[in-house]
Amino acid sequence: MSAAIDMSVFSETVFAIAEEVFSAMIDPEPGALQPSVEDVEAPADATYAWVDVHGEHPGRVMLGTEHETAMLLTRALLMMAQDEEVSDADFVDAVGEIANVVGGNVKALVPDPGPLTLPQVAAEPPADGAVLLHDAQFAWRGRPLGISLWSLP
Amino acid sequence: MRVVVADDSRVMRQIVIRTLRQAGYEWDITEASDGAESLQLARDVDPDLVLSDWNMPEMTGIDMLRAMRAAGMDIPLGFVTSEGSPEMREQAEAAGALFLIAKPFTADTFRETIDPFLA
Repeated sequence: MSAAIDMSVFSETVFAIAEEVFSAMIDPEPGALQPSVEDVEAPADATYAWVDVHGEHPGRVMLGTEHETAMLLTRALLMMAQDEEVSDADFVDAVGEIANVVGGNVKALVPDPGPLTLPQVAAEPPADGAVLLHDAQFAWRGRPLGISLWSLP
Repeated sequence: MRVVVADDSRVMRQIVIRTLRQAGYEWDITEASDGAESLQLARDVDPDLVLSDWNMPEMTGIDMLRAMRAAGMDIPLGFVTSEGSPEMREQAEAAGALFLIAKPFTADTFRETIDPFLA
């Protein structure tokens, strides 16, 4: 997948995609998602959600953030109150769908891509030999959130 | 108007239904969690419209549409999917879909795309 994406503009491209996804699904008012120039270390209590694209250039689009931020994203997506209990099923479903929609739109940048997998959600990134190509950092409501592109073996 | 909303994500079904209401459609909606369930509902409920995700376990949306047409069911179907490549749009049209709405969507997207088919 990477061979067909211009890495020099990946951050800008993925920001445009993420901003559209977030403004349509999560925050009707613009500005909640901002590009971030800060280098952010992987959080201790993290949530990762990803989709893979098979085909000639297999790749992965992965969203990573603090668990608490992923919980806030879930509540925002489902229009829940801040103190409302989120079930595990809804949490995995909601965070996975955000990765799925972002990943589907990144996939659209690639000519003749293969099928997109169903989204996966875990506390650790998958350890399958994927190679990081680019990591775009954002701040959602001031909280760090990364969207990365990986090449699959 | 009876409508089936098919998506393996319960969260996404909720968002689709919420957005349909925001768009002003007060429809009688039945949910399906994959293509096979949606196909069964199409037989049982005989809906006026099916709104379906593409990538689902058990049976994909496009396979479900092809199975409906092969069985002689001409129920109108539109895709609401996270992928909107030209290839998928071609496949959707060739299989007999009315439209393909790529996620993310808004109430305006729904109205602009669906209204012409309701006339």
